[in-house]
Amino acid sequence: MFFYGPLGSVINLTFNEKMKSTLLLAMAFLMLSGIGYAQKSAVQKILPYPIFQKKLANGLNVVTVPYNSPGLAAFYIVIRAGSRDEIEPGKTGFAHFFEHMMFRGTDKFPSDKYSAILKSTGASANANTSLDRTIYHMTGNAGKLETMFEIEGDRFQNLKYSVQDFKTEAGAVKGEYTKNSASPFVQLNEKIAETAFKAHTYGHTTMGYFKDVVDMPNQYDYSLEFFKRFYRPEYATIIVVGDVASDKVNALAEKYFGNWKKGDYVSKIPFEEAQTETRYTHIQLKGFPPLLTLNYKGPSFNDQQIDMPALDVLSSLLFSEKSDLYKKLVLDEQKVRFIQAGATDSRDPNLFNIYASVVNAADMQYVKDEIVKALEDAKINKVPAQLLADTKSNLKYSFAMSIDNPTSIAESLSHYVYLTGDPESLNRLYALYDKVSTQDLVNVAQKYFVPTGLTIGTISPADSVDVK
Amino acid sequence: MQLRIKILFLLLAAASTHIFAQELVELKMPKSNKVVIKLMFRNGSIADPAGKEGVTQLLTSLITEGGTKELTKEQITDKIYPWAANYSSHVDKEVSVFTFQVPAVFLSKFYPIIKGLILNPSFAQKDFDRVKSNQQNYVDEVIRTSSDEEFSKKALEDLLFRGTNYQHLTAGNSNSLKDITLDDVKKQYKKYFTRNNLTIGIAGNYTPAFLATLKKDMQALPALQGALPVAGRALMPDGINVEIIAKKNALGSAIFGGFPMNLTRANDDFAAMMVANSWLGEHRKEYSRLYQKLREQRSMNYGDYTYIEWYDNGGANMLPPPGVPRSSNYFSFWIRPVQTAKGLKGQYPELNTINIGHAHYALRMLLKEMDNMIQNGMSQQDFDLTRDFLRSYIKLYIQSPERQLGFLMDSRFYGRKDYISEMDKLLAKLTLSDVNRAMKKYWQTKNMDIVIVTDQSEAEPLAKSLQENAPSPMSYSNNLKSALPASILEEDKVVEQYPMKVNKVTIISSDLPFTGKERLPKKTM
Repeated sequence: MFFYGPLGSVINLTFNEKMKSTLLLAMAFLMLSGIGYAQKSAVQKILPYPIFQKKLANGLNVVTVPYNSPGLAAFYIVIRAGSRDEIEPGKTGFAHFFEHMMFRGTDKFPSDKYSAILKSTGASANANTSLDRTIYHMTGNAGKLETMFEIEGDRFQNLKYSVQDFKTEAGAVKGEYTKNSASPFVQLNEKIAETAFKAHTYGHTTMGYFKDVVDMPNQYDYSLEFFKRFYRPEYATIIVVGDVASDKVNALAEKYFGNWKKGDYVSKIPFEEAQTETRYTHIQLKGFPPLLTLNYKGPSFNDQQIDMPALDVLSSLLFSEKSDLYKKLVLDEQKVRFIQAGATDSRDPNLFNIYASVVNAADMQYVKDEIVKALEDAKINKVPAQLLADTKSNLKYSFAMSIDNPTSIAESLSHYVYLTGDPESLNRLYALYDKVSTQDLVNVAQKYFVPTGLTIGTISPADSVDVK
Repeated sequence: MQLRIKILFLLLAAASTHIFAQELVELKMPKSNKVVIKLMFRNGSIADPAGKEGVTQLLTSLITEGGTKELTKEQITDKIYPWAANYSSHVDKEVSVFTFQVPAVFLSKFYPIIKGLILNPSFAQKDFDRVKSNQQNYVDEVIRTSSDEEFSKKALEDLLFRGTNYQHLTAGNSNSLKDITLDDVKKQYKKYFTRNNLTIGIAGNYTPAFLATLKKDMQALPALQGALPVAGRALMPDGINVEIIAKKNALGSAIFGGFPMNLTRANDDFAAMMVANSWLGEHRKEYSRLYQKLREQRSMNYGDYTYIEWYDNGGANMLPPPGVPRSSNYFSFWIRPVQTAKGLKGQYPELNTINIGHAHYALRMLLKEMDNMIQNGMSQQDFDLTRDFLRSYIKLYIQSPERQLGFLMDSRFYGRKDYISEMDKLLAKLTLSDVNRAMKKYWQTKNMDIVIVTDQSEAEPLAKSLQENAPSPMSYSNNLKSALPASILEEDKVVEQYPMKVNKVTIISSDLPFTGKERLPKKTM
């Protein structure tokens, strides 16, 4: 990123105020001149640190980013399997359940021993599952890196749990569903997913259906199959960020993961036919702020095509605090408490979600019409060049300020690793942001914001959807 | 005579400056690409006047969501958009913190906005109406319909601190908010947002000249008139008191409980209690004792944790956030939602005769484990492992510049310079007997307040079971029970009858908390 690298190094030399103003002027010029900006940034990567990658013979990708965090390292393992891979009926929520089982130990390190060792590393460790991936992570003492590799290498290859452990863990997952279900947002998301997707596995949430969650204790044999399928080196990437060197990380990866056997399973994800009509789903609820959501079918993530970066830019222009719509509905008319929007980054085409918390349920139709009006306007009118440049600037500076510790860098890299398998996608995406043109914004608005791709989800005291 | 008055005045001024000098916490990071500024005012929701509960939060929100004398909110948004500068406020019981973050290259452009917001907020009626409406909506609806866990946690404070200035939500209550006017907000600003109760924190890549300007400008805030309010303290509950909040269609029973504890980070015993607490119930960690007993061995819920100080937004935070220091402290436990009888009956036909779900059993397990720790202490091995874990783990609290700055500022609140490094030193020289002694001093299980948010169908039978100290056998599905080892079932027999002397159980509707009505003081200070 042009404003981070050069400036950072200049600051290291403790520059004077005059130099600073010169730099600021240069930056302002670059921002005003779209071409100069793009050319300059194309050379500089958004992540101002080199990404070292090494692919082991078994297909395991090992990523190292040295970062100045004395004594600290973030250790992440990304498995590119999630609820998207839950293709068999009755198995919704299984990828997430399996993530829980990964903490149930091996012959060498039974769960109590694993816990004690993990505790001895002083790490903040956990795991989480989403549509396309499962991530296991720990941030802790960089001096204990070998211990981290040893216990992780063991469980990813030699996981072994009893039927008792399996059945017991299922209750914890049910507990998780139970605590989540108190949120009407969670309930609505479940309904939006199943309304928008009729064939694809994005039609169920990562948490799964409650009936499947209750049935989990009966799925022991399937869990063994699940491990065999997905906990394989070709599905995995190790990411280490912090007070580490790539040579050492690669050597430890070879030592503790080098014998991991490659698999050959590939999920056959059901194809989702194009949607042909606006769909509706609704939750009747009194005593909760009315909620209107418009969910348009969007693209999959792609770091080579302009669609997703253009939608990211457009969502900021149309729905952030900077947008005319926000200023009108939230600040001026005060008919909406908040409005948020964005495209979901995922491996297959997913939804562009717009959420509006409406003050009075009676205004739902009005708010929907105003949102659609803004989307229609984006199909016809190009945004001013300066506004586009400002938005690009906002995206880049936001990212630059966020990567101030090893955990947040590892989180960012994990995101792009699960999407494409390659952490450099992060740099490629931000390079693409530079290339987004005002015409691209018109194009994606015309392509994706169509009534035939829309699912409307609502929460209100009414007994059925009252938005057309 | 005149001279004597003058001397007296000077003495008073000196005393006042000594007590309320503008404090500064600096964290220079010349390689950083950004600057973080935190302005901490030592006045949180405890400074809300009676009947105007929520006014401090309304004020800070109005500052961050409104304009300045020169710029409207829209104009500020337009200006800072390309810089990606951001700012927010957070109000806790005893402090209000404004946090500003900006790329270092835009600091000088951003600064007039910071200055304008703090020194000359616009206080526009229209912004006030919007901010107040959202805060009212949070108190009226959002808090009771979004997370039963957060609901029970906040309701516990309402119960523990009843009748004190610590009782109410920082957002206030339904009745008080209705009565707050823009004039009230302006009065609160003048009275409590002063140069004498301000701590300035700054981290990142800034110049000494910039800092000098910031310090000088903040001197333009008014002087503190009168004293700051004193934090209310909870009296020890008389026996075990349970409040059951009955809710429509709750899938589980969400539990929070606790009792006042005269210990904060200011006290060196805090290190000993960190070890004890970490072993019993470290936040979101599978190796703690309570988690092992309830979740790992018995499949009862998603997690079980204990706390020796306030932990903000534990559902979202894996590590404790800064900016919430408190002088009035309590021990608490968080048992994440366990199953209700209605839920279990629907899931497993073999359980169709049960009367209550798992809440009563879970509470008994907590009491048993705590009693065991207090009476028998920790083992040397557990102590060593836990102490070593904490010495490493607390360093993760301060991974980012923003967090590091926040923890340093909180340190000042507690009369410390650097809490993290000082705790590390205390942990290093800690012994097992220190921990075992501290547990006996600060923990007990006879007196506590407990809040349970649960389904309407569970409320009455659970209340009866608790009140009567009736046995509460675990109700496993046949499938799970057949897989459990005999040792677990044996222990269940002890737990299900473990003495739990409940003094009082109250059932209330989920509409009642935080309304500001029908909540007579339980105790007064």
